[in-house]
Amino acid sequence: MAIAPARVPERGIPEWTGFDGLVQLISVDGQRTVGCPYWELVADVGADQLRDLYTDMVVVRRIDVESMALQRQGELALWAPLLGQEAAQVGSARALRPDDFVFPSYREHGVAYCRGVDPVDMLRLWRGSALSGWDPAVFGLATPAIIVGSQALHATGYALGIMLDGATSAAVAYFGDGASSEGDVAEAFGFAASFTVPVVFVCQNNQWAISEPVRLQSHGTIAQRGQGYGIPAIAVDGNDVLAVLAATRLALARASAGEGPTLIEAVTYRMGPHTTSDDPTRYRSRDEEEEWRVKDPLVRLRALLRAEGLADDGFEDSVTAAADEVAARLRRGCLALPDPPPDALFDHVYAGPHPLIEEERDAYAAYVSTFDS
Amino acid sequence: MSLGQALNAGLRQAMERDPKVVLMGEDIGKLGGVFRVTEGLQRDFGDRRVIDTPLAESGVVGTAVGLAMRGYRPVCEIQFDGFVYPAFDQIVSQVAKLRHRNEGRVAMPLTIRVPYGGGIGAVEHHSESPEVYFAHTAGLRVVTPSNAADGHRMIQQAVACDDPVVFFEPKRRYWERGEVDEGLATTVAPLHQARVVVEGTDATIAAYGPMVATALEAARIGLQEGTSIEVIDLRSLSPVDFETIEASVRKTGRLVVAHEASVFCGLGAEIAARVSEHCFYHLESPVRRVGGLATPYPPSRLERHYLPDADRMLHEVDRCLQA
Amino acid sequence: MPAGLSAVRRFLLPDLGEGLTEAEIVSWLVAAGDDVALNQALVEVETEKAVVELPSPFAGTVVELLAGAGETVAVGSPLIAIDTAGAPGTEERVPTLVGYGPTEAPPSRRRNRRAHRNPSPVEPPRPASRPLAAPPVRFMARQSGIDLADVTGHGPGGTITRDDLAAHLAGAASAGPSTPPPAAGRESRAPVRGVQKHMAEAMVHSVATAPQACVFLTVDVTPTVQLVGQLRRNRHFEGVHVTVLAVVARAMMLALRDHPALNSSWDDATAEVVTKHYVNLGVAVAGPTGLLVPTLKDAQDMSLRDLAVALVDLAERARATRCTPADLRGGTITVTNVGVFGVDAGVPILNPGEAAILAVGAVQRRPWELEGQIALRDLVVLSLAFDHRLLDGQAASLFLAAVGEILADPVNLVALG
Repeated sequence: MAIAPARVPERGIPEWTGFDGLVQLISVDGQRTVGCPYWELVADVGADQLRDLYTDMVVVRRIDVESMALQRQGELALWAPLLGQEAAQVGSARALRPDDFVFPSYREHGVAYCRGVDPVDMLRLWRGSALSGWDPAVFGLATPAIIVGSQALHATGYALGIMLDGATSAAVAYFGDGASSEGDVAEAFGFAASFTVPVVFVCQNNQWAISEPVRLQSHGTIAQRGQGYGIPAIAVDGNDVLAVLAATRLALARASAGEGPTLIEAVTYRMGPHTTSDDPTRYRSRDEEEEWRVKDPLVRLRALLRAEGLADDGFEDSVTAAADEVAARLRRGCLALPDPPPDALFDHVYAGPHPLIEEERDAYAAYVSTFDS
Repeated sequence: MSLGQALNAGLRQAMERDPKVVLMGEDIGKLGGVFRVTEGLQRDFGDRRVIDTPLAESGVVGTAVGLAMRGYRPVCEIQFDGFVYPAFDQIVSQVAKLRHRNEGRVAMPLTIRVPYGGGIGAVEHHSESPEVYFAHTAGLRVVTPSNAADGHRMIQQAVACDDPVVFFEPKRRYWERGEVDEGLATTVAPLHQARVVVEGTDATIAAYGPMVATALEAARIGLQEGTSIEVIDLRSLSPVDFETIEASVRKTGRLVVAHEASVFCGLGAEIAARVSEHCFYHLESPVRRVGGLATPYPPSRLERHYLPDADRMLHEVDRCLQA
Repeated sequence: MPAGLSAVRRFLLPDLGEGLTEAEIVSWLVAAGDDVALNQALVEVETEKAVVELPSPFAGTVVELLAGAGETVAVGSPLIAIDTAGAPGTEERVPTLVGYGPTEAPPSRRRNRRAHRNPSPVEPPRPASRPLAAPPVRFMARQSGIDLADVTGHGPGGTITRDDLAAHLAGAASAGPSTPPPAAGRESRAPVRGVQKHMAEAMVHSVATAPQACVFLTVDVTPTVQLVGQLRRNRHFEGVHVTVLAVVARAMMLALRDHPALNSSWDDATAEVVTKHYVNLGVAVAGPTGLLVPTLKDAQDMSLRDLAVALVDLAERARATRCTPADLRGGTITVTNVGVFGVDAGVPILNPGEAAILAVGAVQRRPWELEGQIALRDLVVLSLAFDHRLLDGQAASLFLAAVGEILADPVNLVALG
């Protein structure tokens, strides 16, 4: 979809506290909100683009659901579902320019999809065939960070490099509410603010860090944490794809204009478990899950499309068919992923040969050759 | 009961015995821990004794230091081995050194529990064996149970110990069951004493944590082949029970040390050096070591090639016998 | 796929959460005969961590439920059989299931090991610059006062084994019957140590390991005695004390060229005969502390004059106890001059590791046959003891005869060069 350049508002970030104090462009029941200055950031988003955003979210959800099934069928060792966070990921990722560089956590499958990563490649690390799935340089996307919060510092450093190069792209770090407690994230805020680097911190506050509610991480909002470091922050309804798109465009424009970091707190909900090893019934209520089901990002956009006559059954069927095709291809690709050969154990530990590695490689080969099979 | 359940029971008994024992960690409350080791404890002891913490390992340990100085006896849980590193500074610079720094006036009776080791098909950072970094740090005690009965006893001893104990729990063994006598006094064996699990005469395999079961498998196969292998469960990495090891070496003359951690600079190297020094004239062959490679832990589809198995242990035993 | 052909697939219980080993079937959501779609929920199971719904990996018709509600099933066990024949969306490939619980050690491949049939080769022996022995053997050697350099190793790579040590000690062990201690003053005791101890051990070892035989030759060395006299007056030999022994040594060097077997040794460990292409000539010398056998290295390259000088030097050093361990090692053949003690001949004992030893008796003036007449001639008896593993009587005798031929007619020194 076409990315229109966003105009940087004259005085900082527009103040708009709408729904629950969050920036919101589409209400929960699918109505466009009135009077929010962030509308001008998405003025170019017409019917086609809205349908594209919807299609993206449906496909991303389908990838996620299929991957959960694959794990339950023993094809993946683990999966961290993004169910419920499609708008936060698609909305922000569709704001990115090709030169921007993204540092995700382990849940940003939607962002990876938007950056062009083949969904099958996303599965390599979850299947255990490899520790990464794609070339970061090709997609402008680092490998998922499993050490919580570490990526915030990496993004800050990358942004410092952009600045030293005199380029106008930006680095983007995705992390969750839990990560905001890690020292690395605090340090990233400090460095980013100190050096005024072109970094966007996108925090998806999905309310839960495994079984810990967000209130345990912070009594204030996550947005306020950034402000504590002198980083302007936007709190946005993370289930509103347009609001997220708008906020991210603004943050990227600030970065490119040399105005330094922005923190976006996208308030959303982790509708599924933390990972396939988790059991949310132990720590949260069905009531809460129902409350958030009403705010489902796909439901909301679908309601808007329907209400404005921008989508009909034919459109929805084609979207479902597209999603099914992606899912079928994902399943085929997953089952066909080859196991790495044993001597791959010794590759890429160092840039060049290393005496201990070479010795172990030879010893291992000699050991294996003592067996018949 | 399983090792996980045995640890749960041991923690419960420790908490009943001493009201100053406080558990801290991520997801240990309602969830009962990602491996359910703290299941039911917050329900029974309340959230002022089983404390859910924000997502910050350094925060957990650093806060525990302060609690300890206030007279509490904290038990910290680090969720997975690969996540201990943000806490490494607090552990090594503070927990390990505060008693010494203060000339004995300050006590650090912390227990830091860390599930460790591989073999569970996990993603990166969830199969590490970082125990030697801590064994190498003066001021810390480092132990690891291999089975449910030891787990039940040793966790209580670790909590009661007035020194900081880093307590490594072999996660691939969490679900394995064993007989546990919950009424057994914890004085039956000292915390740092190794155990000869199976006696033998031709060679000794010394292992700890997840590798003990593998060593026993190797001994069983060895016996079928006509080799009598003695298996030692080290249980403690700092201090190491060298007496038990040396007595065995004097008997068999051959020693293989096994661990999942890399061979290079692993605990096997320390044991080999000590045994060479103290048992030189009893050694029929050099001390051999089997362990992880000098590479980062591989993707899980390759882990069975990385982790020592019975065949690799027996390969080293063969080399000892041929020497 | 043709209709009627069945493709029954089984769904095995996977590891649902990082190392789980089993799950309990809570309730089935389908029954035998039901048609199921890909990913349709089949069953609810409970693990240690959670209650989980399992989606079908296949589309098709349920053939059979393979576990009952309430049953606890191990990871990897079959749950359900589904006939996928003709069902759309069914994958051709049999899924490779990941996540089978804590990675159990793969079934041992020990019984397939080639190593069982061909033990892995031992590291090749390095040229021994020092004797090789395992620490316990070294300890035993030290306790027994044995220098490992004197023990031949028969273990892998030439290492000295316990058995080698035991054999070495066997001769020294005294098995005499116990006698009542005599009254004080009727005997004296001196501890066995140093050179005597070394000699005793070497002799025992030599006799214990090598079967030794001896051949004798009486030689008329009158021309050699005359030659020695002439050489003593020769200006090129001024200051050099040349003796018959020097000529014997030279004769041995020349004879060894055609009889190299006398300059070999028996390597038990490798079952090889090692023929040396150099001669380190051992010369038995009576030192103040006892018998020593220093060696002249590369004696084959030494001229008669060189040998004479070297022999004098050796004797002096031995008497002054200035022989180094290097001097005393590495011999390939030995000559012993028993004549200096005035005896005619002796049966010498081999220096361990050598094939032969030549004893030279005293030069005696005796009646002998010369051109059909009886004449007084200078005679010497040569005694050659040899290792009968390496040489037989013929080989030994031929060598001895060759030496004798040179001594009988020293023109051969020049003829053979």
